[in-house]
Amino acid sequence: MALRSLTTIGRKISEWNLLKTTAIFATNTRNLKQITQSETSDGTLVIAGNYVPSDRASNLVTVKLGDEAPCSACYMCKLNLDVKHTDVLILSQFVRTDGCMLPRRITGLCKRQQKRIGTMVTMAQKAGLMSNINPSWSHRDPRKRYRHKKWNSYWDETTIKC
Amino acid sequence: MSATKRVQQWSTFSRMWYLYDAQWQDPFHSAKILSPYLTGQNKPIYHPLNDCGDHVVVINSREIALRGDEWKKRVYFHHTGYPRGASWTLAWELHQKDPKMIMRKAVYKAIASNLIRRTCMERLHIYPGSEIPEEIKSNLSGQIRPIMPVPKRLQEYSKEEIDNYPKVFDFPNDYVLR
Repeated sequence: MALRSLTTIGRKISEWNLLKTTAIFATNTRNLKQITQSETSDGTLVIAGNYVPSDRASNLVTVKLGDEAPCSACYMCKLNLDVKHTDVLILSQFVRTDGCMLPRRITGLCKRQQKRIGTMVTMAQKAGLMSNINPSWSHRDPRKRYRHKKWNSYWDETTIKC
Repeated sequence: MSATKRVQQWSTFSRMWYLYDAQWQDPFHSAKILSPYLTGQNKPIYHPLNDCGDHVVVINSREIALRGDEWKKRVYFHHTGYPRGASWTLAWELHQKDPKMIMRKAVYKAIASNLIRRTCMERLHIYPGSEIPEEIKSNLSGQIRPIMPVPKRLQEYSKEEIDNYPKVFDFPNDYVLR
């Protein structure tokens, strides 16, 4: 037991040092890749991957906790927001342009928050609140949907099982 | 009786006309709110033999919202009285046939079952859209507050609002945008 706690302490200290060193070398440049497809005049197809700066970097919210030690909680747990399925401005940050939920390796959420956000994205899509972020073949207008899906519905966040 | 008392008497027994916007409202929760207005139970002069209920005009009944997957789970039963005359209609089917019916049935259920129930229901006016006939619009004198907040769709926000909204996370390095 003692050994285990010692090793964890050692790991924590090393993590902390790592973070400190990265903090000295400072800014983490955000380089996202955007794949563009274009055709030249002689008919050759050019597929290029360009680096683009992230437009989210300026509006990013960060939470400062009291102690300086690195906290293992994910950012949604730290923010401690009461997110509802009607908060489409938050939920739309977690989806691709076709309405797919981003995986956990990209969102960086803990398992519980990933499940919660994913379920709320589904709720918002079923309620027709995010119908403009959808696959190209889908009906944008909820009224054109099939049978029971065309009418308004609201959802209860307490039914999420986690 | 003085003039002021006389006017007070008239206004006490006059009927009010209330407007209720059913957009994104649960009809069954709304019915609990509306039924005291129709029966007059929200008034201090209420008595079962005192016919003092108000009129309620419900608009946008086509835009009501049911909770979860109730549109395909809720079933309305009807029996013609003849053999094999039973029929079961799902809520979404009924709403497609008559967008006023679910609201009307919900309020009918919320009013206590007695002889003046049908009279109270006569004072409920339901319209599927936001259009009201002029003679009913001219009577309106009050509004009943909606019980649920109306959600805003993502396409109703402007691009500036979406871009300037605080972002909770940034993409990792070398993430391929799609």
